Amino acid sequence: MPAAMATTESDSRLIERVGRGDREAFEQLYKRFARPVFAMALRQLGDNGRAEDAAQETFAAVWRSAKSYKAERGTASAWLYAVARHAIIDRARQKRENVAEVPDEADGRAGPAERAEESWLTWRVHSALEFLPERERVVIELAYWSGLSQTEIASYLDVPLGTVKTRTRTGLARLSTLLEEVRA
Amino acid sequence: MSDTPDFHDLVGDDLTPEEELELARVDSLLRSVPRPATEIPGSLTQRVERIGTSTPLWTRRRVVLAVALAASLAALFFGVGRWVDQGFDARATVQMVPGKSAPDASGKIQLGDRDPKTGNWKIHLTVDGLPHLGGSNYYVLWLAKDGHYAGTCGTFDVSGRTTLDMTASYDLSEYDAWVISEAKDNAPWLLSAET
Repeated sequence: MPAAMATTESDSRLIERVGRGDREAFEQLYKRFARPVFAMALRQLGDNGRAEDAAQETFAAVWRSAKSYKAERGTASAWLYAVARHAIIDRARQKRENVAEVPDEADGRAGPAERAEESWLTWRVHSALEFLPERERVVIELAYWSGLSQTEIASYLDVPLGTVKTRTRTGLARLSTLLEEVRA
Repeated sequence: MSDTPDFHDLVGDDLTPEEELELARVDSLLRSVPRPATEIPGSLTQRVERIGTSTPLWTRRRVVLAVALAASLAALFFGVGRWVDQGFDARATVQMVPGKSAPDASGKIQLGDRDPKTGNWKIHLTVDGLPHLGGSNYYVLWLAKDGHYAGTCGTFDVSGRTTLDMTASYDLSEYDAWVISEAKDNAPWLLSAET
């Protein structure tokens, strides 16, 4: 079991508990996956309201179908990703039905297979971030996606620069363990 | 991202070659994915909290009984349907959960003091997201026990966000849930909450 997960219940175990109607497990699962689900929905639907609808439907589907989850058939993260993807696709289809003119999709973007792979990779990385202790996750997100320098992050968080670097290194090492399967 | 600091700026220069290789791989992965969601909308959390909490539909027999009792008892309760526009001194507040038939509805029950002379509980009900019924149609606020109809607290109709004063003379600890439904046969639970 990865170090970051050693003190937390596994996703599989949580889904199995949800399948037995355990609301506490459902809340834990929501806390763990709400951001990756919402981020994926927002990226693919491009609209906060619709992303929220898709995320809600994802968790409703998790609640309804957790009983059908079989750990031996695949990882919990992959199962959740599939549930979220279906909910997002359903929401996207509804949009197409409601829009009179379908936009031209012949652009320079990656094909469906590449996009699916990118989407899965993003999902894994974002999900792994949720396992980090808050103090490490914050410095990593600020470092990679805010455009702030390490000195600016130290100032923003009101901690010494050395602390920022330590947390960044520790967080990256923890992510490395969590993402082993992705890097392999 | 072009504005992400250099890898060595992030982790320093005192790593072993193995550590550097390991962290550089993660660094590369992080640079290849878009920014995570900055925060989860509170409204999403509220919506997800409601999942799995709605109670099953009630039976035809229960509906008939509820409607009959609602119609007769509503007249006995003082203050039903009276519009209010001022504050209410609540000793407890219960948020109601929408059922599948009214996913956008919301409701709040504020419970005031029990009148020592009459034994009536003061109820301040606020509902939103339910359609105006009109005609001879109306909603019922009632109490359930073990999923069954157990007593009415009054009837009402709405126009947008609506606030009403009601009373009930029951021992509320004997009931499981507050329920709002339309007063008609086979009407689903629109809003419900544990007592």
